Amino acid sequence: MKNPLHKRYIRELKDDLGKYLVIFILLVVSIGFVSGFEVADGSLIKAYHASFEKYNVEDGNFTTERTITASQKTILEKNGIQIFNLNNYENAFTNGTTIRIFAQRDEVDRVCLMKGEMPQGTGTIAIDRMYADNNGLSIGDTLEDADGNVYTISGLVALSDYSALFQDNAELMFDAVKFGVGIVSEEQFQSYDANALRKTYAWKYDDASIAGSDKEEDVSKDLQSALREVISIEEFIPRYQNQAITFTGDDMGGDGAMMVVFLDIVIVIVAFVFAITTRDTIQKEANVIGTLRASGFTVNELVRHYMVMPILVTLLSALIGNILGYTWLKDVCAAMYYGSYSLPTYETVWNADAFIKTTLVPCLIMTFVTWVVLWRSLSLSPLKFLRNDLSRKKHHHAFPLSHRFPIFTKFRLRINFQNIPNYIILLIGIMFGNLMLMFGLALPDILQSYQTNIEKNLLANYQTVLSIPSEAMDENHRFQSMMQFMKFSKAVETTNESAEKFSAYTLHTIGSDACKSDEVMIYGVMDDSKYVRLPVNGIYISSLYADKYDTKKGDTITLVDEENDKNYDLTIDGILPYEGSISVFMPMQQLNEMFDLSEDFFAGYFSDTEITDIDQAYIGSVIDLDSLTKVSRQLTVSMGSMMYLVDGFCVGLFVVLMYLLSKIIIEKNAQSISMTKILGYNNKEIGRLYIRSMTFAVIVCIALSLPICSIVLVRVYRIMLKQMMTGWIMFSIHPKIYVEMAVLGFMSYVVVSILEMKKIRHIPMDRTLKNVE
Amino acid sequence: MFLEIKDIHKSFGENENRVEVLKGIDINVNQGEFVVMLGPSGSGKSTLLNIIGGIEESDEGSISIEGNSMNMMNEKRLSLYRRNHLGYIFQQYNLIPNLTVRENIEVGAYLSKHPLEIDPLIENLGLKEHQDKLPNQLSGGQQQRTSIGRAIIKNPDILLCDEPTGALDYATSKDILKLIEMVNQKYGNTVIMVTHNAAIQYMADKIIQLRDGKIRSIKQNPMKVRAEELEW
Repeated sequence: MKNPLHKRYIRELKDDLGKYLVIFILLVVSIGFVSGFEVADGSLIKAYHASFEKYNVEDGNFTTERTITASQKTILEKNGIQIFNLNNYENAFTNGTTIRIFAQRDEVDRVCLMKGEMPQGTGTIAIDRMYADNNGLSIGDTLEDADGNVYTISGLVALSDYSALFQDNAELMFDAVKFGVGIVSEEQFQSYDANALRKTYAWKYDDASIAGSDKEEDVSKDLQSALREVISIEEFIPRYQNQAITFTGDDMGGDGAMMVVFLDIVIVIVAFVFAITTRDTIQKEANVIGTLRASGFTVNELVRHYMVMPILVTLLSALIGNILGYTWLKDVCAAMYYGSYSLPTYETVWNADAFIKTTLVPCLIMTFVTWVVLWRSLSLSPLKFLRNDLSRKKHHHAFPLSHRFPIFTKFRLRINFQNIPNYIILLIGIMFGNLMLMFGLALPDILQSYQTNIEKNLLANYQTVLSIPSEAMDENHRFQSMMQFMKFSKAVETTNESAEKFSAYTLHTIGSDACKSDEVMIYGVMDDSKYVRLPVNGIYISSLYADKYDTKKGDTITLVDEENDKNYDLTIDGILPYEGSISVFMPMQQLNEMFDLSEDFFAGYFSDTEITDIDQAYIGSVIDLDSLTKVSRQLTVSMGSMMYLVDGFCVGLFVVLMYLLSKIIIEKNAQSISMTKILGYNNKEIGRLYIRSMTFAVIVCIALSLPICSIVLVRVYRIMLKQMMTGWIMFSIHPKIYVEMAVLGFMSYVVVSILEMKKIRHIPMDRTLKNVE
Repeated sequence: MFLEIKDIHKSFGENENRVEVLKGIDINVNQGEFVVMLGPSGSGKSTLLNIIGGIEESDEGSISIEGNSMNMMNEKRLSLYRRNHLGYIFQQYNLIPNLTVRENIEVGAYLSKHPLEIDPLIENLGLKEHQDKLPNQLSGGQQQRTSIGRAIIKNPDILLCDEPTGALDYATSKDILKLIEMVNQKYGNTVIMVTHNAAIQYMADKIIQLRDGKIRSIKQNPMKVRAEELEW
């Protein structure tokens, strides 16, 4: 015979539909989103890795000063590589953006056509899909470059070597708003001014096993030395260092892990909510349980009985969440990635790992938590259940309260004492929600203040960093090099009145697993500089450096010259307010002496206006407000919409938790509420007793969570950002964020308290009378 | 007349499941009177008590207290009516489990503009040394004393007692009856008590017998016996 208790499940579901429904929705949304994310992440990572072979992605690239000749190519290829032409032009467009334009590539770094068709003849272009999205461009639209060439967009593409649109590999962050890549026909490509050609070449190792292996770094270093003996190289980027190729893969892996941790926390919170509600049900059904136990039902049978609903709800949520994850939410999550990265098309891949993490693990967590709580609650003797005495202690003693307190105060305090376990769950839930909410609310604000601070503390409107020919720095041919440098110095003279020379040298911080190595620009500034004022001569670091490495005046920092394999220990004399980059400042003379440079060496200009009278060939880069704020711009584009989702989810989590826990509290006290009604208390007074106690608890939980979240978030942010990226964005939480969080938390509670007040109103007085019968 | 109950009808259920529990009840109660309602299970005595208490609505008939009809009262006014005029004592005590003895009594005191003084009352109830205990630390008798304290601290006009000794042993029951008798005499409250225990009728001023929803008899009791002398 079937266990007749099974018949209760449907009835219990009907009786407590509200509770099961909100838990179900919370779980479906969480599981669905994580499942969708894992599936999209897994499928896209697979497509991304497959693209290396599918599109024959390069093993590295280098840019030279001059076009390499056929004979040079033959010599170079004797180093175990094959060289491919990746020449390109960087054209400025009238929409304020720059597009790096390539001719169609057929051999290496092949192109994935996402939509439309490849360009034919002149006047057509296929542009990167994400750049197009960010600039509101679609097929058929026209674009005009600074030289007056007008292009019709024939197609949207993803370039296999530009999944992240880094214009410069040394950049902290790519900028898919102001920078894009495009493909034109060979005919169009040949029509450009050859003087502006960027001579870039890709290579592939003859031995395919080198790429991705442990020896890749050593091989690429040897290759670089070998190439330098033949040609003059401006930039050398092996694939493993190429952010445009690797950044996407690194970032996607980390996101997946974070999502799973998020799901596990939600499941644990829900498991405890279930445990508390089930314990409450056991309390209500104590007499029945006592009778069943006395009649011969075992503890195990009852534990199994009460475990069914939580596990069933979790299982059902997991199934529906996964169905949504594999269908609709997968596309939503993939769209987020497509909003950040220029990925090729993908096919949905069955992800066993995602299934385990989103179905098996939640069910196991739920089973474990509910089993522990149920076993503890149900293993009391039948007599204790029959007597309705479920405490393990002999008797609960009342916490002493002064007789002088008004009865309402005492009443509320007693409600709060009674519900401390519920409030602990509420506090954990609010803390978890607030942690995400704080991040969601703070990030746009941080990016905004990053931008504002950079604008405020800009060293100069323009920093023109010169590109010094390698011949001018050749220590093996000192005389020739001196002559070259003199020639170079003359060529880079400017008539711009605001220009002021600075010298510079690039070092790196010591990297580790916990913190990526940063490129540090050491500026040497003139004694009477109008752009960088050093209080007294000495070594100063930017405030960004000080914040990232927690460095103070008097500390000694060690920086590495990777090229010459030399370390420098610098003692800090002060901190300059500059958030544009991780930099060090010292007098020009000191810098030139420190790095063994000639007395009149300089590396660029600070200026108020753009320097236009220097040959572009001698300009390495121009650092202006636009280039310094790329990070914030890109993060705003790629994470902005996600932050709204995070905010919405957190508010949802608050509402669900507050609703469930206040429901438990009201139901637990239904008998008392009924009795107070009989005594003559009106609904308003009862609301003052019960709702205000919860209000007090919610306020305390929110107030406690704010400083804790702030401390935790700052720590987590610092650890994660150091691991994830070079550069730094200062993290500070504006006071208005706390206010917003408190308001959102409290507003969620107001919604819940209105519902609970309604519930109080509906508790009938005959509940007390039924108890009598 | 202090309390007038006229032609009260009450049914539960619908159609073929409809059961008429009260079939036209007429009772008059004087102020300060001790009334005992007796009758077998299902006779309608508890339902009648609940209608007097404003917890249940009658289908027909009227109840008025000091000339004010309850029929015209909405939910809010019924709350006020209970608050200003009634004290309730149940068989199962219905104390608020997370409040101490003293606090449970204070819950009653809050409702009255002129409550009795709590410390002498707790002393009279024999609860002084238990006043800071929770209900689950008390015996049944002590819990019922607390429940009586909660009902009478607001000095109600009418004390409604639904089987107040139903869950207690003989000695404790007698203690509780003595207490209710003392309350009736000392504070002059009208007491309406529903009970199965026929012996209790002898301490009443008026004895009402119910059967099948009708009044079988209403008798005045000129030979009241003190609670202490009751035997069953």
